[in-house]
Amino acid sequence: MDAKRLTKLAMLTGIALIIFVVELQIPNPFPIPGVKLGLANIVTVYAVYHYRAKEVALIVFVRIFLAAVFSGNFMALSYSLFGGVFCLAGMLLLKRIIDEKHIWMASVFGAVLHNIGQITVAVLITWTPGLIAYLPFLLISGCLAGAFTGACAQMIIHRTPAKR
Amino acid sequence: MKKKWPFIVVGVLLLFGMIGSFLVQRHPDTNLVEIVQDGQVLHRLDLTQTENQTIEVEYDGRVNTVEIKNHQIHMLEAECPDKTCVNMGWLNSAAPIVCLPNHLVIQFTDIPENIDAAVQ
Repeated sequence: MDAKRLTKLAMLTGIALIIFVVELQIPNPFPIPGVKLGLANIVTVYAVYHYRAKEVALIVFVRIFLAAVFSGNFMALSYSLFGGVFCLAGMLLLKRIIDEKHIWMASVFGAVLHNIGQITVAVLITWTPGLIAYLPFLLISGCLAGAFTGACAQMIIHRTPAKR
Repeated sequence: MKKKWPFIVVGVLLLFGMIGSFLVQRHPDTNLVEIVQDGQVLHRLDLTQTENQTIEVEYDGRVNTVEIKNHQIHMLEAECPDKTCVNMGWLNSAAPIVCLPNHLVIQFTDIPENIDAAVQ
């Protein structure tokens, strides 16, 4: 990988991290574990459609790890990691079916998969299947947040030059 | 986009989410609650027969304070980064009160034993 490409990936990772840290400051009115805007995924979904799978994976893993360091919350790492991997795998697979014009849809699926991944980990870690009761709320928030971040990604793509 | 099914899937997910949210919000028919940590039931109580009290649970040196008052239960205080559990209010639906960092769950149960179980 040449330096130019690596720098671009690093910049995207940095942007995702900044968005994440800023989002931490936004108060969350919902007392439901796992409900968040997930704005950093704007970068992820953009990258899925413009970079190779391994490169996107690099961005996602580095971002998740550093986000845990920056937020001082290492315990959230397992949830983020599982959710992020699930989300990434899903979006990469869906890339074949959903084209770039409908990137918001890929983002919706990504967000929902992320939430499902997080609930799965939460149930496994705490051994309480009762947590599944939160799935309906997370599905709704995933669809809405995913649509929003996807729309942002769509606007960004609209305004960036066509060449890579 | 050639295929329409992703739209349908999203619609179904939303529908499931909305219906599910309503269903989960109902108050279960039971008054038995469990305080569970790491899958182990620490306490099992019948709310109608429990006096007002506070129960402290510890995990890794961090303390959660569970309060039972007027036959209702909630998380009074918690030493955790996000305090989501405290903001959940009183337990009144199938959705458990959960403190993820401390692996603590308060939920309704239908297991017909109303003895205060000892820590296992």
